[in-house]
Amino acid sequence: MFTRRQFLHAGTTAAGASFLALADRSPGLLIRAAEAARAADRNDRILVVIEMSGGNDGLNTLVPYENPAYYRARPTLALPKNELHSIADGYGLHPRAGALAELFGDGLLAIVQGVGYPEPDRSHFRSMEIWHTGSTKSPAPLAGWLGRCVDAMPADVRAAMPALAMSNMVPQALRAASVSVPAVEQFETLRESVGTTDLPAEMTRKLSVKPRAKAGPAALIAQQAQAMYRAAEQLRGAETKYRSTVAYPETEIAGRLQKVAKALSADLGVRIFYVSQDGYDTHATQADGHGQLLQDLSEALKAFLDDVEQLGLGDRVVTMAFSEFGRRVDENASRGTDHGAASCLLVAGRSVRGGLLGKYPSLEKLGDGDLLFNTDFRSVYATLLDRWLGCPSEPLLGAKFAHLDIVGG
Amino acid sequence: MAIYQHPLIASEYVAALSPFVGDGGERFDRRRAAHLLRRTGFGGNVGEIDQAVRRGLEATVDGLFADDADEEAEYARTFGAVAGKLTSLSSLEGIQAWWVYRMLTTRVPLREKLALFWHGHFASSQLKVENTELMHGQIELFRRSAWGSFGQLVAAIARDPAMLVWLDGQSNTREHPNENFARELMELFTCGISHYTERDVLEAARALTGWTIDGTTGVFNTDEHDAGRKQFLGRSGRFGADDVIDLLLQQPATAEFMARKLLRFFAEPDPPAEIVAEAAQTLVRSQFHVKWLLRDLFMSQYFYSERCLRRRIASPVEYVVGALRMLEMQMPADQLIYFLEQMGQRLLAPPNVKGWDGEAAWIDTGTWAARQQFARMLAAQTDTNPLGPVFDPWRLVPVEMTEPRAVVKRLSDVLMPGELPAEARRGLTSFLVATDDGPQPELFREDESFRGQKIREAVTVVIALPEFHAW
Repeated sequence: MFTRRQFLHAGTTAAGASFLALADRSPGLLIRAAEAARAADRNDRILVVIEMSGGNDGLNTLVPYENPAYYRARPTLALPKNELHSIADGYGLHPRAGALAELFGDGLLAIVQGVGYPEPDRSHFRSMEIWHTGSTKSPAPLAGWLGRCVDAMPADVRAAMPALAMSNMVPQALRAASVSVPAVEQFETLRESVGTTDLPAEMTRKLSVKPRAKAGPAALIAQQAQAMYRAAEQLRGAETKYRSTVAYPETEIAGRLQKVAKALSADLGVRIFYVSQDGYDTHATQADGHGQLLQDLSEALKAFLDDVEQLGLGDRVVTMAFSEFGRRVDENASRGTDHGAASCLLVAGRSVRGGLLGKYPSLEKLGDGDLLFNTDFRSVYATLLDRWLGCPSEPLLGAKFAHLDIVGG
Repeated sequence: MAIYQHPLIASEYVAALSPFVGDGGERFDRRRAAHLLRRTGFGGNVGEIDQAVRRGLEATVDGLFADDADEEAEYARTFGAVAGKLTSLSSLEGIQAWWVYRMLTTRVPLREKLALFWHGHFASSQLKVENTELMHGQIELFRRSAWGSFGQLVAAIARDPAMLVWLDGQSNTREHPNENFARELMELFTCGISHYTERDVLEAARALTGWTIDGTTGVFNTDEHDAGRKQFLGRSGRFGADDVIDLLLQQPATAEFMARKLLRFFAEPDPPAEIVAEAAQTLVRSQFHVKWLLRDLFMSQYFYSERCLRRRIASPVEYVVGALRMLEMQMPADQLIYFLEQMGQRLLAPPNVKGWDGEAAWIDTGTWAARQQFARMLAAQTDTNPLGPVFDPWRLVPVEMTEPRAVVKRLSDVLMPGELPAEARRGLTSFLVATDDGPQPELFREDESFRGQKIREAVTVVIALPEFHAW
């Protein structure tokens, strides 16, 4: 196998190539980025979205441990009361979500219960599309809910780097009409690829950033190429500036959140970050896998909040974790759970009013065997848009959704 | 099982799509031949493109479906010789490398291309299946099925052990139906969303009960099968797996869904409704023997129209394998796996059951950076590298060709026949003689090693052009 180091070296033929060299050759772009970053006011608020992909079992995340119906529905998967982290009368967090319980105890975590939407769709793709676009219309809008928020930002903020996906691909939620949001799972690849400034690299740059056609694949690629050079310039300092004593766990989700912290420390003017954690589609032998996922998420989130605090950004960052649906109330015969409907959603940060919101859905009154929602997910979106990002939600979501008492006022 | 018993006889077959006749004065020229070879495989090298033009459209298209009897034996020998030493099929990387090696070297690229299509269609992942033998078996099923009967393939996939694990078929029992496979069978594999109800999902799950795994094979366990009456798609009966599949294949929505999906993969991202309708008709009339639709398509006016030419975006596999095949260059397949992953395509580990979204979703800042890095890596494979792959510029450009303009023309013929943008031609012509100390045309003409290195670098510039990735 190629190691990362070999991979990086394979792509570099010119010695001593660096971002600095790149910046020297394109002062115009750099100045523009710096100005834009300055223009993004110090007090601008930042939203970090974590996608729990696959459908998180809300029932085993926040457990209604006094409810006999829970134990009836989950003969092998029910979590015993004495192992739970009780956070309210009758409700406890998963035994392996201790870090979440700590955040809750410190008033840094709000849990919204019974989140969903009318006529729930049990397909991953359709439900994910609904969450990503913030719309139940079919066909779904092309731009995502966060992308539309980017489109509504002032031009100078958009000209910098308004949003960033810590993934290999841009999620639908971040697709915008006005800009190409960069996806930068690998800072290093980007740096090596763009940081080289020999003759072939210069010729490639010259020939790839200006579209020769108005539309079509090549034009679209040229646009991404342009975004790539810009992102590389802006992320140049992100890793060198970052100083932290917070120890993140060695998990994928923690690594991604740490990259967010690094980008935050570089003060690039990014307002929205997007990361995801895969694996919640627990159709079979769910107990161990689901526990591991929740543990990874909880510990990563805790480390991230600590880090953000240390960076002096504690009051500027709010993190939301969602999943496309919950899971069937009754466990299946494979000691797993099938696709369900309503679930719980997490919002964390120092600016968040911690506590339980919404109502725990009834385990008796179900819709096709699934929990019924009582809080529309777009109420969460509307609250974060209006009260946190300062982006009017009604035109963006196409309707008015009631606010929740999570942030602002 | 009416659906897959009567393979169509060629003489009964009438093309639904208008054939390519070149009535607008177009010919099956190098540009169109290169298009055909890109879409039906991984692009042709200069010799293959020339040969296609010489043989003409029909003979070339029929040649695509011609299996090479010796090839399997050759691969068996090759893999037998290296098994357990250089590579192993018992790791994910090993199977990825095995498959990429086949794509790089096969004389029947259409078979691998279709296997890739089916892999994206019935997207299963080793990350959940966690059994390389089963995953390897599934890819072999796709390779065998290739342009054969879709009905037989669906029936086989319902019994495929990797699929039984991937979508929890093995835990779909009489007492406790598990809907996972039943739902995707309809939503993603046959008729598409909104052509069935939630009730149909549950009833199909019941009909599919009993199929489970014994060791590494899919088996039917009568005890776990729900033999009761089911209501499915408006019909009622004691349905089993094959009945459900038969009924699904009879849905007009299935023909349309599959026609659109095949057209999106082979022709263009957004095929017009009337073409989809004609293609769907062909699928129905050929009892879903995919070959007939493909043969029809590859010989159609539509396929060679500007709607289709360079209208797709190359997948990472198409780009990487394609570039190497066009450059007649070998690279250890296991080294390519890492590049593919950086570009967003991990073979046998697609992101989810929907497969890769493809097209615009392939390209963003990160994946584009990885594509550029691959291009640059090629230029660094010089003959001073004793163990590594060698990028020999003189395979592409005659060593006596010393005029920059002629060299650029030649590179265009190799990599983008008739399609290298004028701006790139101009840029490359000056690039070939450029040095850090300014232009040196004499050096280019006289110094063979300088010229060779410049040609390597120019190639990387061409394959890093956005237009090259428009496939």
